[in-house]
Amino acid sequence: MIELTFVGADGARKTVTAPEGTSVMQAARDHDIEAIRAECGGAMACATCHCYVDDADAGKVGTACEDERDMLDFAETELRETSRLSCQIRLTPALNGLTVHLPDAQI
Amino acid sequence: MPQAPFDDTITYNQLVNDPYAVYRRLRAETPVVRVKAVGRTMITKAADTRAIKDDAALWSSDDPNTPMERAFHAHTLMRKDGEEHKRERMAMAPTFSPKNLKTIWGPAYEKLANEYLDRLPRDEVVDLFPTLAGPLAARILAVILGIPGASDDQMQHWSQALIDGAGNFGWDREPFERVDHAHVAMNAEIERMIPKLKAEPDETALSVMINAEDPLRISQIFGNIKIAIGGGINEPRDALLTILYGLLTNPEQLEEVKRTGAWGDAFEEGVRWVAPIQVSSRRATEDAVVGGCDIPKGDVVMTIQASANHDEDIWDAPEKYDALRKRSPHQSFGSGPHHCLGTHLARMMLGKIMLPLIFERFPNIELVAPETVVWKGFGFRGPLNLPVRLN
Repeated sequence: MIELTFVGADGARKTVTAPEGTSVMQAARDHDIEAIRAECGGAMACATCHCYVDDADAGKVGTACEDERDMLDFAETELRETSRLSCQIRLTPALNGLTVHLPDAQI
Repeated sequence: MPQAPFDDTITYNQLVNDPYAVYRRLRAETPVVRVKAVGRTMITKAADTRAIKDDAALWSSDDPNTPMERAFHAHTLMRKDGEEHKRERMAMAPTFSPKNLKTIWGPAYEKLANEYLDRLPRDEVVDLFPTLAGPLAARILAVILGIPGASDDQMQHWSQALIDGAGNFGWDREPFERVDHAHVAMNAEIERMIPKLKAEPDETALSVMINAEDPLRISQIFGNIKIAIGGGINEPRDALLTILYGLLTNPEQLEEVKRTGAWGDAFEEGVRWVAPIQVSSRRATEDAVVGGCDIPKGDVVMTIQASANHDEDIWDAPEKYDALRKRSPHQSFGSGPHHCLGTHLARMMLGKIMLPLIFERFPNIELVAPETVVWKGFGFRGPLNLPVRLN
């Protein structure tokens, strides 16, 4: 199991565990993290699972591919260098302890 | 768990004319209920409708006992699941990519929107349904699909024929005959374009599908184009009319939106307030429990997103259009694998382009006799007319 922490826009932290191979989006949905809306269910079609990877983890997670960057332009909140669609981040052992920050709106 | 209660008092006419009153009562009294008039179990609370849409393994989109296949001359992606659905959807998805929306369809819509607004008469009463909302939605769709030779009237007629056929639960002859005629014309227009788009490929849906490396079967390609025709005109048309009605009947909100430029909020609130697509069907692939009620395997439920969008657990005074309210996620574009492919296109066309444009062009636009606006529809809903004076 991989451990990861979600930090809400209000600063509230929630640490959860999820099986290796799960997406960060799915881990959020499985633990009722409502700030991850994920309307399309992981098809990279909706931009409602936008998150900010913690600066300390950004290198490990990597950057968005071109299609993901295009879709991120439809995200509701401001984009930062660490912006990702959480459906596109797969949890691997290397990401154990990952921290992602949540925007205050997805739509 | 008990079975869902049974309601034989709701009439189909009530659902067509005043569904929100029915849903308000159902949310309060029997949020999961078998409704005789539609032969389905209605799901009316937001948490339940969302959970069903998101669990595509438990809730199949294949509702076998509908007139849709007969009307569309095809088993379309709307009624498919899993990989089969995904392959057909992805075949068309490149057309709707964010890049294409920004660089091709956005500019194309803006140009068309200006042309259609140019044609509107000033200082007289004009109904924006047949003069703007309907034909403009038809035109941009014809362009995006790759069948620009189809006229606005043809597109609207085909779309309505497909909708009426798919909703022909009485299995009457006339709607099927009408849609059969429409198929002849649609097929001719699609076939006419294929050689042209093979010779000069572009980003239109028909071109992307016929020129794909591993193309769909031709029948699936035709089916996809027809699904887009049946499902791509009335939503932006009805959404535009609904939002304009909301803003024009709430001038203080309109002034504030003009001041802040929050047209996106005006858009989202409009499609929340009266969802252009009000209901969807899903079939239980296993015995299931929804809202404390047993739903046996094989049962078909109707998720009522119109009702979910008025859920008092989420919104205060949900029956009111309020462009200034704090945004909460509505379900008008659905969720899960069938999440609306046109979501971003609709947001761009209406929220980013048309709404600011129409109020810039006609700053003193006024709704004439709002009490004469007729709202109708159970499956799809919107105003049937919007009489305004433009100046």
